[in-house]
Amino acid sequence: MNQLLTANVATNLYWLGRYLERIELTLFEINKAYDKIIDVDKAAGVKLYQKFNIDLHYEGVVNFLEEAIFGDHPANLATLMINARENAIIARPNIDPSAFGEIIDLHTLFQTISTHELLIDYKDIETALSLISEIWGAYEKKGHRKCSDYFLKLGKLIEEVDFRIRFKKKEEMTNLIVKDINSIFNILDTDFDKKMKKSPDDSKSKNIIEDLYEKVDTLIVY
Amino acid sequence: MLEKSTELHKKFWEIFEKQDRKKINEFKMYMDRFAINFNLYKDGNFIEQSLPFDVIPRIISKSEFSKIEKGLQQRVTALNLFLEDIYTDAKIVKEGIIPIEFIERASGYLKEFVGFSPSKKIRTHINGIDLVKDSSNDEWVILEDNLRVPSGSSYPLSIRDTYRKIYPEFFETLNITPIKSYPKFITNAMNYVNTGGINVLMTPGRFNSAYYEHSYLAEKIGAQLVRANELEVINKKVYFKNYNGKKIQVGAIYRRLDDDFIDPKFFNPESLIGVPGVVEAYLNNNVALLNAIGNGVSDDKGIYYFVPKMIEYYLNEEPILKNAPTYLPYFPEDMNYVMKHIEKLVIKDVAEAGGYGVLFGHAMTREEIENLKRVIKADPRRFIAQELIEFYDEKCYLNNELVNRKADFRAYVVMGEDVKVWNCGLTRYALEEGNYLVNSSQGGGFKDTWVMEL
Repeated sequence: MNQLLTANVATNLYWLGRYLERIELTLFEINKAYDKIIDVDKAAGVKLYQKFNIDLHYEGVVNFLEEAIFGDHPANLATLMINARENAIIARPNIDPSAFGEIIDLHTLFQTISTHELLIDYKDIETALSLISEIWGAYEKKGHRKCSDYFLKLGKLIEEVDFRIRFKKKEEMTNLIVKDINSIFNILDTDFDKKMKKSPDDSKSKNIIEDLYEKVDTLIVY
Repeated sequence: MLEKSTELHKKFWEIFEKQDRKKINEFKMYMDRFAINFNLYKDGNFIEQSLPFDVIPRIISKSEFSKIEKGLQQRVTALNLFLEDIYTDAKIVKEGIIPIEFIERASGYLKEFVGFSPSKKIRTHINGIDLVKDSSNDEWVILEDNLRVPSGSSYPLSIRDTYRKIYPEFFETLNITPIKSYPKFITNAMNYVNTGGINVLMTPGRFNSAYYEHSYLAEKIGAQLVRANELEVINKKVYFKNYNGKKIQVGAIYRRLDDDFIDPKFFNPESLIGVPGVVEAYLNNNVALLNAIGNGVSDDKGIYYFVPKMIEYYLNEEPILKNAPTYLPYFPEDMNYVMKHIEKLVIKDVAEAGGYGVLFGHAMTREEIENLKRVIKADPRRFIAQELIEFYDEKCYLNNELVNRKADFRAYVVMGEDVKVWNCGLTRYALEEGNYLVNSSQGGGFKDTWVMEL
């Protein structure tokens, strides 16, 4: 891995990966909750947002979508998408051009709905999910990976781990993803283990997410 | 007034008539989708917007462009020699071709750099020269030299790619010269003056009006896009700070910020977008800066007057491309002329740029003219006066109708081992009919420029 990259670009790629993954996974969960709220469990949205430490209030399923996606809380997806767009603009020379276009489209989709006071519906969610799939697809298609691609993937995987822990998903799978993440640290810096002064496997006994954050801080030197 | 239609224009219109005009909207969609923006600050707010684009290209025949090319090569060569001269021997001053006060009072002249010669004695690496085509004699005329940090090349480069996708028939059928060579010109120029190390493009940052261009060009020329804090000077050498903490020496910096901000240790100490110590590295020839520090002197509107004399002096040649007829109130004879004919002249404040500080005598009231005369008399070096050139309009397709707009042409000239003129450029048109100000900062738009032959 001999691609040059500033710490600023590396950080922006990492956060781009995190925001996009966060938006995608949140939309998946919103979709599931949407289905339940209709006729199974009116409180499904409240339960979902408790996992993000957010106290969500809504009246009916349509209002749930509004509050979940554009509500005044830290998981507002339109705001996350503004951040993701900023990350993409800063890291642009290192982003696949078609993926860049999809990111701008995704941002426009959220902004159009939020600024024109249109009611969001399930079709918008499907459009957003499809755009995100295309962004990931642009990277999956690549044969040769550069450092910049790995920073994006690093952000994506760390966000996935965060989600899995919040949603208490199977630990076995989470550990496999962490293993994948640890291999990325070593790809991005061959001296990484020396810098951490410990084996990546030692982290098992600690809080997984905090341990990963510490590793990211060690990897990207300002 | 429109230029006389040629066979090349006819060929264009034949194809244009057959095209689906609804597809014109796709250009704007493309520019929005890829954030091809020109950013502005308005009332304290940061606004990202795409530049207005018009689908009708400016068409220049290959033979006509060939004359422009030769004229620009000649002009930039002379300007480079002039800059090297005034910062070293100043022969042109000693021999009385240019009065010393014109050099010393030029805002971009930096006395501190006298005696310094940059890598390969090249100072004018990347240049934007503004021209118009005079309708009175069909000649191209130079309006302005931009030898500091000219911008705009990324817009025609980006839009050409789109044009080829939206309306491929033009490129299949017509003999339009390809334009992809421009980034290579810059890379070659950077490599030529590189003092040892990697190439970087230095941007003031995300909120600069031309950030899109910085990021686009960095990718195309294969240079790292960096902000000031991503470079560090150690022992008079400049280093790129990689994400993993490794430091890699930098040999050439294509800087997209003005002299005043490039080094807080040397220039403005308040600058947060400069690299402390970069000037010292430059003065030790440990890094090349594109363009050289101190080039602002040649962008001065007062110095512009002397460029034809520079061509004669340094190259012993007649200028191929002429300046607009210009008067310097500094010279008594010119002052008399300006005072007598001010109503028909364009008065320019030499310290201003971007279309600011330009006054049209014909559009001023009697009182305003009298005031202006007083200001000119009080500080004659501050102004130049030019005959108003009736330059050609270009046909534009705006709001679904064909209209005429004044348009200029910014040509890009890159100097490395040799002088290359890009066979495209930025054709800028005015927002309103009859307006002579075409600058993007004045709301103007741009067109593609096709150099063609039958």
